[in-house]
Amino acid sequence: MNLDTDILEKIMPTIKNSHQQHSLQNAINIGFPTMKQEEWKYTYYNKILQQGFSFKTAEHTQTSSITKEFIDANATSSNRIVFINGIFHNEFSSLVNHPKINFWNSNNATESNTVEFLVEINNALSTDGIFLEIGDHVIVDEPIEIFYLSDNNQAIINLKNKIIVGKNAQVKFAEYAINTQQAPTYNNIVTSINVAENANVEFYKIQDGGAGFYSTDNTFVQQAAKSVCNITTLSLSGEIIRNVLQFDINGERAAAHMNGLYLLQQNEHVDNRTLVNHNVANCESFELYKGILGGTSTGVFNGKIVVKQAAQKTNAFQSNRNLMLSNDANIYTKPQLEIFADDVKCSHGATSSQIEDSELFYLQARGIGKTTARGLLVFAFGEEIVEMIKPEALKIRMEKRIAELLNIEF
Amino acid sequence: MLKINNLHVSIDNKEILKGFSLEVNKGEIHAIMGPNGTGKSTLGNVLAGKEGYVITEGTIEFDGKNLLELEAHERAQAGLFLAFQYPIEIPGVSNANFLKASINEIRKSKGEEPMPPNEFLKMMREKMELVEMKKDFISRAVNQGFSGGEKKRNEIFQMAMLNPKLAVLDETDSGLDIDAMRIVANGVNKLHNSENAFIVITHYQRLLDYIIPDFVHVMYDGRIVKTGDKSLALELEEKGYEEFELIK
Repeated sequence: MNLDTDILEKIMPTIKNSHQQHSLQNAINIGFPTMKQEEWKYTYYNKILQQGFSFKTAEHTQTSSITKEFIDANATSSNRIVFINGIFHNEFSSLVNHPKINFWNSNNATESNTVEFLVEINNALSTDGIFLEIGDHVIVDEPIEIFYLSDNNQAIINLKNKIIVGKNAQVKFAEYAINTQQAPTYNNIVTSINVAENANVEFYKIQDGGAGFYSTDNTFVQQAAKSVCNITTLSLSGEIIRNVLQFDINGERAAAHMNGLYLLQQNEHVDNRTLVNHNVANCESFELYKGILGGTSTGVFNGKIVVKQAAQKTNAFQSNRNLMLSNDANIYTKPQLEIFADDVKCSHGATSSQIEDSELFYLQARGIGKTTARGLLVFAFGEEIVEMIKPEALKIRMEKRIAELLNIEF
Repeated sequence: MLKINNLHVSIDNKEILKGFSLEVNKGEIHAIMGPNGTGKSTLGNVLAGKEGYVITEGTIEFDGKNLLELEAHERAQAGLFLAFQYPIEIPGVSNANFLKASINEIRKSKGEEPMPPNEFLKMMREKMELVEMKKDFISRAVNQGFSGGEKKRNEIFQMAMLNPKLAVLDETDSGLDIDAMRIVANGVNKLHNSENAFIVITHYQRLLDYIIPDFVHVMYDGRIVKTGDKSLALELEEKGYEEFELIK
């Protein structure tokens, strides 16, 4: 059945801002995603809404039971931006003081005209989010950690982020989505990142909400000449997670890197969609997504690389590799190349495999029982992505967390 | 220590071992030689417990236990070690973490506590010297990007760390240059004592210049056809395996 957009019509009177009204109207016109649409072929959006999440703007009056101790225990940096139930919490947040770093905890809604239902919903209903400007030449040493937490919340959490990184600036982000409530939680997040000339941005997305966690994420990156942007998405636990990542490479000699690891157990579902637009010449993009799929889980990967006619000498690499741990797990993978330039180097590939008996035997022959041996081999498969995490504290934390999820000890 | 009696083994309905018998006592070094395709590697794999082989007849007793009833990891825990002919690479798992998992699982099987980290590191450094491994070896992923010689040295290093009762070396000398062979042999000789035993499976005589065997067995068509002392190896080097064609 298709969801009725009546529920969106009903909230129209509660929206005051005309841009937001416009976005809500766009969303109504587009309609809810259905599996009849190519981009939603394998992900059943209704299932998220069936959990009973409501469409409304976040309430600033609410209280939260989340403590500073909880944040401290989960942070690896002193730069923190904390949202609870879609609301910015200043008392838990801190950011390095620098005259050329400007931060606001909300975005004014702007005119939006996309064809993405979830982006329009986000624009219509978000109040809070990150608006961050990192000035030219600023180097932020410690990663900026962003927390999306929830407790006692039934509404869809809509957060809208805009990050502007100036020329020659260098900054790292680590975004954590953790579900701290017993009831289901649903994050719908939209982030746009502008990377100016010769700037360097690393962005780590850690999605680890566990049972009852739902997430839809849209991230848009604009890159200027000679910039480097690396986005790593680690989907470690959650019911349904969908990530849309789009790069527009608009300046020459820029490099875009996308790494992903999804670790699926039981009935979990992760859908990763990436699009890289090579708009100009002499750029490179590198993409490696790896999946570990157990239980009755489902993984979806759709990676598209578009090389425009002007984008000569593009070097694009894309790979999606999956380790299947169960006969009942599914992976739907679709690499796509659209090349309009004639002097380019592009490659793509997708694989799915199982743990090799010869590998298992090698570990067993060293006294390691089958269960641990499997765990170690699965860990090794994921480690190729994890070891590319540059902040050491974050890397160690992720290794520990993955070992914990795989039930192995080091 | 090890008693193999009339062992018949098939894989994919093809019989590879055809009545193989061998007895190994502690303190002994046995060399098993023979041309390709006579079942030497099958013997190593069957001893270590690789799946996929069908034992149609015969028994293997190890330290008083029925070896065939044990799973591969239980055999290793009981003190049996196979040095692989083709060691696998495990990207993402460091040599240190791999051996820590190995040693601690073996200790756990005996009801012992995990080895304290400082003791483990000390032992690792000592044994690394034995096979002349470089310092960065500890943090490198298991066999990843290792040369053929390094992989074989790593097998001997793992053997030194686990200190097995019985070690089976499956063509550890293949693909080694003379320096690597000397290091490997030196490792074996240093570990050899009156309480443990070695089965050295090899194609060529040259390894036996460095590791002196108590017995040399000629394996042909799935069983031992001749047993002698180290001089038999030299004889084989000279005459080849032709005479055994007749026995077949």
